[in-house]
Amino acid sequence: MKKNYWWTCVIPLYAFTLLFIAGPLIYMVAISFATNNPSGYGFHWALTAENFLKILDPVYLQCFVQSFQLALSTTVLTVLIGYPFGYFMGKLSRKGKKIMMFLIMVPFWTSSLIRLYGWLIILQAKGVFNGMLMGLGVISEPLKILYTYPAVLIGMVYALLPFMILAVYSSVDKMDWTLVEAARDLGASRTKAFLTITLKQTLPGLLSGVILTFVPSMGLFFIADLLGGNKIVLVGSLIQDQVTRGSNWPFAAALAVILTIMTTLMIFLYRKITGAKDLEGIF
Amino acid sequence: MKRKLTLLLAVAMVLMVALTGCGGSAPEAKEELVLFTWQGMFPQEVLDGFEEEFNVEIVYSNFDTDETMLEKLSLAKGGDYDVIIADDYIIEQAVAADLVAEIDTSIVTNFKNIDPLYQGQFYDPDDKYTVPYGAGIPLIVYDPEQVDFEIKGYKDLWNESLKDSVAITANYRVINGITLLSMGKSMNEEDVAVIEEAGKKLKDLAPNIRMIQDDNTQNALLNGEASVAFLYTSQVTAALAENPNLKVVYPEEGLGFGIMAAFVPAKAPNAKAAGEFINYLLRPEIAKQCIEWIGYYNTNEAANDLVDASLVVPDTVTKGEIIQNVSSEADEAYNKNWIEFKAACGE
Repeated sequence: MKKNYWWTCVIPLYAFTLLFIAGPLIYMVAISFATNNPSGYGFHWALTAENFLKILDPVYLQCFVQSFQLALSTTVLTVLIGYPFGYFMGKLSRKGKKIMMFLIMVPFWTSSLIRLYGWLIILQAKGVFNGMLMGLGVISEPLKILYTYPAVLIGMVYALLPFMILAVYSSVDKMDWTLVEAARDLGASRTKAFLTITLKQTLPGLLSGVILTFVPSMGLFFIADLLGGNKIVLVGSLIQDQVTRGSNWPFAAALAVILTIMTTLMIFLYRKITGAKDLEGIF
Repeated sequence: MKRKLTLLLAVAMVLMVALTGCGGSAPEAKEELVLFTWQGMFPQEVLDGFEEEFNVEIVYSNFDTDETMLEKLSLAKGGDYDVIIADDYIIEQAVAADLVAEIDTSIVTNFKNIDPLYQGQFYDPDDKYTVPYGAGIPLIVYDPEQVDFEIKGYKDLWNESLKDSVAITANYRVINGITLLSMGKSMNEEDVAVIEEAGKKLKDLAPNIRMIQDDNTQNALLNGEASVAFLYTSQVTAALAENPNLKVVYPEEGLGFGIMAAFVPAKAPNAKAAGEFINYLLRPEIAKQCIEWIGYYNTNEAANDLVDASLVVPDTVTKGEIIQNVSSEADEAYNKNWIEFKAACGE
């Protein structure tokens, strides 16, 4: 009789997951209850809630609020641009879809950091955008766009838009258009057919797009640093600060734990609403 | 098959002979000096010059942050490296951990060349362990074409006419420090109540801030985003190289500076060569080459006349202080000030 050794193939995968994903996560949670070593690096193991209580300080709460606001406005903008984009992309011919997909993918061939520096060059006072407007005589003094909130928003939307488009597109692509035709045949107006049929069928894609933009935008602090001139304190940059120059690991861990909980809740909410097991649009 | 095997054997034997040959010449190999510092701290000709003159081979090993250096040095228990160049505050920690040897002034005969302004500092009060290599002094630089009054000190950064046009570096202690200096207090203030007061004052600066950034902050000044900038030394040098019309201000309230210094680890394998190397760096003409290469302020008094004038701190400036470690309560207060300030800038 032949013995089945399938499990030997699986063990490395589980070991990897445990070691490199579960391990650090548990370590992080453990550190979040430790106390900081005041005279330099490292921390002392303990079981204290002081790090979490510290987050309630208005200074730090404000960072969560700012992160949340930025994530929310980014998501709303990406929905407004990404949904119609994905919708019409789904209605293109096969060839059109291929070309569109290619065009969306091309920017990913360059590092996102370099693309952000591109925005820096476009938006700065003596940059391309201001040069164009002044050349056209629209403005006489350069606009101060760089290092403002709108600049951060532009960067965020730019970085996250593809995820929204792809998520919506994948929903639209597999939509059953006969249902829309049936609704129209039965006398529904275009708007009504869209709202009752199309929107409903593409909701999982839209919501997974929302997750895919909202969750990362809570952490994409380097965009706020680069395009916002470091003037918006997001939770991400607060964590980075605490790990590096503040050298308060327990507090950084506590912040990270709260952030993780918040994003997990978002995904939980998504599954509750859509009943989907996976995020649509992630392969 | 057999022929191939013979060939292989022959090749192997030739290789073995060659290798033994190498081994044989080993005793004649040069002495080694392991130099441990950041990347790109020396012009190549300075290193080549030392190798030639003293018949010592320099092994250049680099770290990215002071903390990494201390970690590696602790792991090596004060051995492995012969000369280390790092920042003031980390040297204080290395000395406290018994990882640093005293400077042998019988070898380092050029010790007298050091500018007294940079001696007797907190990390080495008796000048026993270190030789400064260069000083970093954050200064105010502004474009006189865009600023219609003369900036003299930190307090001028609060001037209302500078709305939305000041770029600053992102070191929370330095920015807290200059606020304290503008209030006539010490950069290393420990009293939390005073620090909180400084926090309020710092918030008033927020409307003037265009951007906060640690890397290439000078670009904001050069590309017209800001008309005034508070910059690190290397950035001041870079800004002036690009636009010589910019004005540099040595703030009248005093300077906050940092010193990079060389030291020999407690168990340096080649302490003699280490001393010779440090002595070599203290020669005025060598110091000139190094300082002009790194673009920091000259700490070698004997080289003052040789070095590019922009890298010598004028005698007229107010001597400042170095930022030191403070109690954790004070540090916490500084941190809070900083976050509140940044948030206020974003509003």
